[in-house]
Amino acid sequence: MRQVGIVGVGHTRFGKWSGGTFMDMLCAAAVEALDDAGVKLREGHGIDQVFVASMGSGMVNRQSGVASALVDSLNLRPAMAETIENGPASGASAVKLGYMAIASGLCDAVLVVGGEMMRVISGWEGTDFVATMLHTEGEYNYGLTLPAFAGMFTRLCMEKYGVTEKDLSIVSVKNHENAMHNPVAHIRLVPSLYAIAEDEDANVINPYVADPLRMYHVCPVSDGAAAVLLCAMDVKDRFLKKPVKIAGIGQATDTHAVAEREIPTDLLAVRVAAERAYKMAGVTAKDIDVAELHDAFQILEIVESEEVGFFPRGEGHLAARLGDTKIGGRIPINTSGGLKAKGHPLGATGVSQIVELVRQLRGEAEGRQVQGAKVGLAVNFGGFGNNVVATILTNQEED
Amino acid sequence: METKMFAYKCDNCGELHHPKHYVCRKCGCRDFVEVPLEGEVILLTYTKVYNLPEGYMKPFMAFGIVRFENGLTVSGQIECEELHIGMKLRTTVGVIKEGVGKDYYGFIFKGI
Amino acid sequence: MIIDKMEQSLRPVETPMMPYPEKYITLATGEKMVVRQIAREEVPLVLEAVKPLINVEKDFYDIVAARVYSELLGYYRYRVKDEYCLIGTIDGVIVGVVNGRMVNEKVGMSYHTLTLRQGLRIGAQLFAAKMEYHLDYLNQEEVWIVAESPNGFKRWMIEYELESRPEVWHELGGVPTYVLTKALWEKHKASKCTGRRPVSEKLMETSMNPNLPETYAQIPGYKRCGK
Repeated sequence: MRQVGIVGVGHTRFGKWSGGTFMDMLCAAAVEALDDAGVKLREGHGIDQVFVASMGSGMVNRQSGVASALVDSLNLRPAMAETIENGPASGASAVKLGYMAIASGLCDAVLVVGGEMMRVISGWEGTDFVATMLHTEGEYNYGLTLPAFAGMFTRLCMEKYGVTEKDLSIVSVKNHENAMHNPVAHIRLVPSLYAIAEDEDANVINPYVADPLRMYHVCPVSDGAAAVLLCAMDVKDRFLKKPVKIAGIGQATDTHAVAEREIPTDLLAVRVAAERAYKMAGVTAKDIDVAELHDAFQILEIVESEEVGFFPRGEGHLAARLGDTKIGGRIPINTSGGLKAKGHPLGATGVSQIVELVRQLRGEAEGRQVQGAKVGLAVNFGGFGNNVVATILTNQEED
Repeated sequence: METKMFAYKCDNCGELHHPKHYVCRKCGCRDFVEVPLEGEVILLTYTKVYNLPEGYMKPFMAFGIVRFENGLTVSGQIECEELHIGMKLRTTVGVIKEGVGKDYYGFIFKGI
Repeated sequence: MIIDKMEQSLRPVETPMMPYPEKYITLATGEKMVVRQIAREEVPLVLEAVKPLINVEKDFYDIVAARVYSELLGYYRYRVKDEYCLIGTIDGVIVGVVNGRMVNEKVGMSYHTLTLRQGLRIGAQLFAAKMEYHLDYLNQEEVWIVAESPNGFKRWMIEYELESRPEVWHELGGVPTYVLTKALWEKHKASKCTGRRPVSEKLMETSMNPNLPETYAQIPGYKRCGK
């Protein structure tokens, strides 16, 4: 099978997009990636396929066929184009499909753009939109939401493993500190651990969203787009920069209704997806130098860090307390600021995680660089864990 | 007027399901029999949600995942003041969401 | 100042109002926000803080800022009866302004909540402080509320479970009036209102003669010149 690498990356500032329309936002990320790779947007551009990852382009922004529209906006006709929807894992899924298109021999170069513009609707409408990924009769119709399941999951982890609210705040503060070195992060403000976890005013300043999860344990609502240009390794010389190789991809699904999960404190799809990715890449958890783990709710970073094998089950929060997951620690997690501080435009997130890994592996992550990073892992979490995609990147030439 | 909720029992192997599945989770068969789903439950986990979706005009709502005596684990709304993991609740069926032209019925678990 | 008969007849008779006891709140960044009432003489300074937002169309800043400006001017020039204004300051900079007035012994009229520094839920805290003033210190029975911003208002409506009272007319006009009663306040204040008293002399000192914000996130590229 053909080897696939990433030769261009682009990323808008996450937050409130005020640079024009939804399409403008996708274009902004896309052209940054194409410029990064040295692609000229005219005849002979060499881009065979465009994938756009977006969960809400239809429901929220009332636009369908977005990828087809983007091809035209970018002057990339007659490239093939599809819009990919896999909930919050749309981004990583789109990258996976880009990989498949090249590895199969169908394409030489694929542009993947993930984007979401959620701040055009109210918070309640946004919560409702995100909840549509839940089981309709068994969950959505009850008014259940993603934060509701995250709250219930957190409570179980606290009961079984002794995770505390302060642990969630420790992870949150770490991510906010990392984001201060990421120019594209949504939130550029570092909460004080004492103020959000221990001070007398903490209960009101950091109120419950879905107890025991509090406001500072939950990611913000963000607009944003991120893009990567994939190419077959055998045509890499067409582009400016040395490619970062996609070494492994793994994906797994789990039960739709969260109540039907076999072990309620497990994120089985994360474990299986990571195992499959490790196998394909020929690496283990020990070989990972830097990771972007989907932390829409801070409990997820903790549990994912265990399920991907960085720490034994039930010890992820202990590692966070020790600083093992900080930049400079044993296994830096979410150097970008994670979804918590970088932001979480649903369709863009999976691509954004990969952009961060590429920057780390290229040595371009100024201010937050993990020294000598060679192998990176991204975990993109769809639904409430019923569809997870894991991607492993490396800057090493040999397999 | 729906006042009963059902589990769906596989006609072939007897495996119970809720919510409804198209295909039996155990044996793959596609014929089911409706069995009333009611009675006492054990609370496995719960949360009080303060940011409700569009249409729910309350400051918060409580939700939980419970286990029925027959082993089924199911999500639902909760109306009960003091909650702790492992406590018993009773099953009621009520309007969980008001709709245009039709209301949605589902589990509301209440204190015993 | 000598007040002539004409001026005297134009000034409303003021009801003695217990001053708001200042407090401080530790915000999420660890910064301490002092919440205190302003004296009438401080209005010109606060007006300068509010003024730049009068031209910001986004998020209804223009109408709120313009109305706060006129309300505070009315208070300053003795043309509005029993009005008050609370400000929040962080490190000696004004970060938010709330105001309202006493209609009578029992009823308070909430005017506006204007957040200058965004991202720290300062508006929510100042709104709660306002309600605290009316219901816990002025000992009123209820506060009448309307809002210009639909999202902000819906949040208060839901979070405080405000009582709908369409038959009474709020001074600011617009949408039907909603009411925060003493009972609703007692129910929700623990989760909404926080802060510690007394404020230390040193901290209080920072809040007196506060500085105006140098920049406003709501106005990209703005920088205050002079004072």
